[in-house]
Amino acid sequence: MSMDYIASQLFNGLASGAFYALLALGLSVIFGTLRIINFAHGAMYMLGAFATYYGAQYLHLNFFVALILAPLVVALLGMLFEALLLRRLQGADPVYGLLFTFAATLVVVNLVRLVAGAMGSPYNIPDALSGATNLGFTLYPTYKLFVIVVSVIVCGLIWWFVERSMTGARIRAATENPVLVRALGINTRRLVTLTFGLGVAIAALAGVLAAPTTNVAPSMGDDIIIYTFAIVVIGGLGSITGSILMGFALGVLQTLGAVYYPPIATTLIFIVMVAVIALRPSGLFGRPELS
Amino acid sequence: MRLSRIVSATCAAILLCAPLSAAPATAADTAPIHIAVITDMSGVYASISGQGAVEATKMAVEDFGGKVLGREIIVDTVDHQNSGPTAEAKAREEFDNGAELAVDLTNSATALAVAAVAKDKHKIAIVSGGGTSALTGANCNKYTYHYAYDTYALAHSEGVSVAKTGLKTWYGIVPDYAFGKSMLSDFTDAIAPFGATFVHADTMPLGTTDFSSYMLAAKNAHPQVLALLNAGADTVNSMKAAKEFGLDKQMKIVVGLFFLPQVDTDPSLWAGAKVADSWYWNQTPEARKWADRYSARMNGARPGSIQAADYSSTMQWLKAVKAVGSVDADKVVAYLDGRKFSDFYAQNAEWRARDHSVVHDMYVYDILPQSQVKEKDAWYKLVDTIPASQAFRPVATSTCDKTW
Amino acid sequence: MDRRLWILLGIVGLVALALPKLIYPIVAIDILCFALFAVALDLLFGFAGLLSFGQAMFWGGSGYVVAILVQNLHFDGAVALGAGVLYAAVLATLVGVLVVRRSGIYFAMITLAIAQIEYFVAVQLKDLTGGENGLPMDSRGSFFGVHLSNDTAFYFVTLAIVALCVWIIIRVVGSPFGTVLRAIRQNETRTIALGYQVNRFKLATFVLSGVLCGLAGGLYALGNRLAGLEMIDWHTSGAVVMMAILGGSGTIVGPIIGAGIYQVIEYFVSKTAIGQETDLVMGLVFAVCILAFRQGIAGGVLLIPWRKTST
Repeated sequence: MSMDYIASQLFNGLASGAFYALLALGLSVIFGTLRIINFAHGAMYMLGAFATYYGAQYLHLNFFVALILAPLVVALLGMLFEALLLRRLQGADPVYGLLFTFAATLVVVNLVRLVAGAMGSPYNIPDALSGATNLGFTLYPTYKLFVIVVSVIVCGLIWWFVERSMTGARIRAATENPVLVRALGINTRRLVTLTFGLGVAIAALAGVLAAPTTNVAPSMGDDIIIYTFAIVVIGGLGSITGSILMGFALGVLQTLGAVYYPPIATTLIFIVMVAVIALRPSGLFGRPELS
Repeated sequence: MRLSRIVSATCAAILLCAPLSAAPATAADTAPIHIAVITDMSGVYASISGQGAVEATKMAVEDFGGKVLGREIIVDTVDHQNSGPTAEAKAREEFDNGAELAVDLTNSATALAVAAVAKDKHKIAIVSGGGTSALTGANCNKYTYHYAYDTYALAHSEGVSVAKTGLKTWYGIVPDYAFGKSMLSDFTDAIAPFGATFVHADTMPLGTTDFSSYMLAAKNAHPQVLALLNAGADTVNSMKAAKEFGLDKQMKIVVGLFFLPQVDTDPSLWAGAKVADSWYWNQTPEARKWADRYSARMNGARPGSIQAADYSSTMQWLKAVKAVGSVDADKVVAYLDGRKFSDFYAQNAEWRARDHSVVHDMYVYDILPQSQVKEKDAWYKLVDTIPASQAFRPVATSTCDKTW
Repeated sequence: MDRRLWILLGIVGLVALALPKLIYPIVAIDILCFALFAVALDLLFGFAGLLSFGQAMFWGGSGYVVAILVQNLHFDGAVALGAGVLYAAVLATLVGVLVVRRSGIYFAMITLAIAQIEYFVAVQLKDLTGGENGLPMDSRGSFFGVHLSNDTAFYFVTLAIVALCVWIIIRVVGSPFGTVLRAIRQNETRTIALGYQVNRFKLATFVLSGVLCGLAGGLYALGNRLAGLEMIDWHTSGAVVMMAILGGSGTIVGPIIGAGIYQVIEYFVSKTAIGQETDLVMGLVFAVCILAFRQGIAGGVLLIPWRKTST
C-alpha cells in the first residue's frame, strides 16, 4: 500500500474521529458539571440529524443554516429536560441519572420512530461541499475535510471555554463547591442548565454533520453512544482534553483496524478500554478522585 | 421456621400441579382457521413487508372467499420485532391456538426459528421475506417452504447478468455475518463461469456506519464492479459512502439485496444501481392489476415483491387445502410437492419436492433516476430475465438432508 | 427479611404455581427466567451497590453454551445447564477481577463494554453459534433421562430451580456476608477501615450473581429452544436493570415482581393496536418510576405501616 493511500485512510480516521471527539466532549462537559452520564447523548445526536432533515424538508433550510439552528433547537429541548426532570434527581446516587437518561432514550428514540419510520430519511451532501479536493498527495472528499475542520474548531473553542475562560472557571468551581459559588452570588442552577444545553448542542452538531453521510434513522445513536462511553472512560471521565484527543485517536485506530483486519474494527475500542482500565484505572487523562 | 413452611408448601404444590398440563386447544372442525403473518411491523423491514404483508395476505383470503372447508379464515398479525426468540414464542402460541399456516417471516433469524417450530408442531411455514439459503439447505424440513428468493438466486440472477456483459473485476463489500458470507460465496460462484472474480472483498462488522475506508480501498483497486452485499441500514450507509467517493462514476454498482419500497426513502441515492428481484409491480398487466388493488388499500403505496409473494403463497396454500379437503400439513405437503404453477407473481414456478425451494423466474433491473420515471414509484427498468432453472440452486447440488 | 416482604413472596409463590393456567406456558417460563436474572442482578446492585450493565454476557453466554451442547452434541439438558453455569462462573471470575476495583458509573460502562466484546466473539464464531441467525434447538434434550418437551412440565422444573436459587440468595443476604455487603454499599471506606477485604467480597458477589444469571439464561434457552444474539445485547442488560428497579431494588422479591410486570406488559401490549410500542411504554413507566417511585413496588410495600413484633 502506498503512502498516499495510508495518508488518505488516516484522514478517514480523523473524519470518523471527529464525530467521536464531539460526542465524547459533550458527554464530558455534562459529566463534569452534573456528575451524570447522559445516556441520552446518542439520542441527542440523532435529534440533531433529524432536525436537519426536517428543516430541509419543511422549511427548506440549507445545510449551513441547519449547522447553527439544529444544535440550538435540540439544546433548548435538552435544557427543558434538565430543568424540569433531570434536576429532580440532584441529590440521588448518580447511577439514577444514568438510568433516567436511559429511560429517556427509549422514549425519544421510539417517538421519533413513530413519526419518521424506522428505515431512514434521505439527506445528501450539500452541493457546495460535494466532490473532492486536491490535497497534493490525493483527491479527498471535500465534505470529510469540512467535518474535520469544523470539529477541530469546535473542540478547540469548547476546550478554551471550559479550561481557560472566566465562565468556564465558574462552571468548574460550581461542580466542586456549589454552595460556596452560590454564596459568591453566581446562579449555579442556571449555569448547570446552560452547561447541559451546551453538551447537548455539541452532540446535536455531530448529528448535523453526520446527516449527509450516514443513514438518518431513529436508531443511529444506539451504537455510537456505547463507543462514546468507552472513549470517555479511556480518556478519563470529566477530562475535556482526554475526550477530544482520544476521540480522534480512536477514530484513527478504528479506521486502521478496518484497513488491516475489518472484522475487529468496531470491537477495537472496547479492547483498548479493557486494557486501559487494567493498567490505568482512571483513564489516560483522568483525575483519580472522580472515580 | 417460616422459611421451611414456605419450602414445604411449594414442594407440595409442585407435586400436586405437575401432572396437570396445559393441553393445547384442539381445533374443532368448525373453528376458524388462522393464518399468522409473522413479520416486522415497525422496524427496519416494515416498509418492505410489515402492514403491507398483512394486507396482501388478507387480500388472498378475501379473493378466495373468506372460508375454506366451511371454516372461516382469520389473518393474525404477529410482530416478531426482528427477534428470533420472540418469533419462536409467538409462532408456538399461534400454532397452539388455531393457526395452520405462518407466512412472510422477513428476517432470516426469525425464519429459521419459526421453521424449527413448524417442524415441531407439524404445521406449515412459507418464508417469503427471509433470504438465507439455509432454509433449503442445512435447516430444511418437511413443513417449511422457501418462497420468494434466497442468496443463491440473487447471485445467479444479478451476478450472472452483470458478469455476462464482460465486467470481470469485482470488489465486494461484505458484512461479517452469515448472510454476508453466503452472499459472497454465492456471487463468487455465479460470476466465475464468465471469467469474473472478486479482486478483493472487505468483511466488516454488521452495523458499520462509516464505510469510508472501504470505499477508498475500493477506489484504489480500480474494479469494474462494486458489489454491496449487505442489507438494511448497511446498504444505505455504504451507498452514501460510495457516492461520496465518486465510485458511482467510476464503476458499476450492484446492490445485492434490495426491494422497491426502499427507493422511496432516497431516490437520488439509488439511481443507477442494479438490483435483482422476483417481481415488479409494473412488469405485466396482471402484476399491475394486482398492484392497483393493493395500492387502493395501502394509501397509494406500491407493493414490493415480498408482499406480492405473501399473497401468492397464501392463495396457493388455500387452493391446496381445498383440493385435499383438509388442513393436515402432511396431506398439504404431499399435494404441493412437485406442483407447477404460474400466477401474477411467479412465472414457471414449481414447489420443489427435493428441498422445498419454490423456484420461479428471477429478474434484474436498473433503478431509474427521477427524471426518467413516468409515474409514481415506477423506479425499475427490466434489463434481464433469468429462468427458474438457472436462477435457483440445482437439485443436484442441494445440501438439504431430506429426512422425510 | 422483613415480614411484609415474606408475605409478598408468598403471594408471588402462589401466583407462580397458577401461572401456566393464566398465560401461555412459554411466556410463564420466560417470566421465571427473567425473575431469576433480575434477582441475580439486584444482588449486585441492591445489596453490593454495583450497577452492572453487562449481565447479559452471562445470561447469553450460558444460553449459547447450553444450546450448542444440546443441539450439536446431544448432551443431556441438565448436564448442558451445568456447563453453562460453569462457563458463567469462569467468565465472572475473570471479568470480576478486572472490574471490582471500579465502582459506580465506571463499573456500569466497563461491564457494558465487556459484554459487547462477548457479542463480537459470538458473531465471529458463527459456525458455532449460528451468528445472527441464532441457534434453534430441535428439542430440550432430556433432564436426567426425563424428556421435557411438555412446556408445563418444564415450567415446574424451572420453578423448582428458581425457587431454590431465590432461597439461596435470601440466605446469603441474611448471613454475615450479606451484612458486610450492605456495609460496603453504605460506606465503602469505613468498611475498609474496619479491616474487611472489600474487593474480595465484591468479587464473590459478582461471581455469584454471574453464575445465577448464567443459570437463568441456560433455562431461558432451553425453555425457548433457541439461543440468539439479543441474549448478549446490551438492550437485554438494560431491560433487566429496569425490571429490578421497577419491582423494588434491594428487596429480593422486588425484582421477581418487576420481571413479571415487565414481561406481562410486553406480552399484552404486543397484542394490542400499539403492539410495536412496548419499548416506549416501558421507557415511560421506568422514567416515572425513577423520578417519583424509586423504591419500586416492593419498596412501596415496605412503606405500609406494620407493627414490628420483635423487640
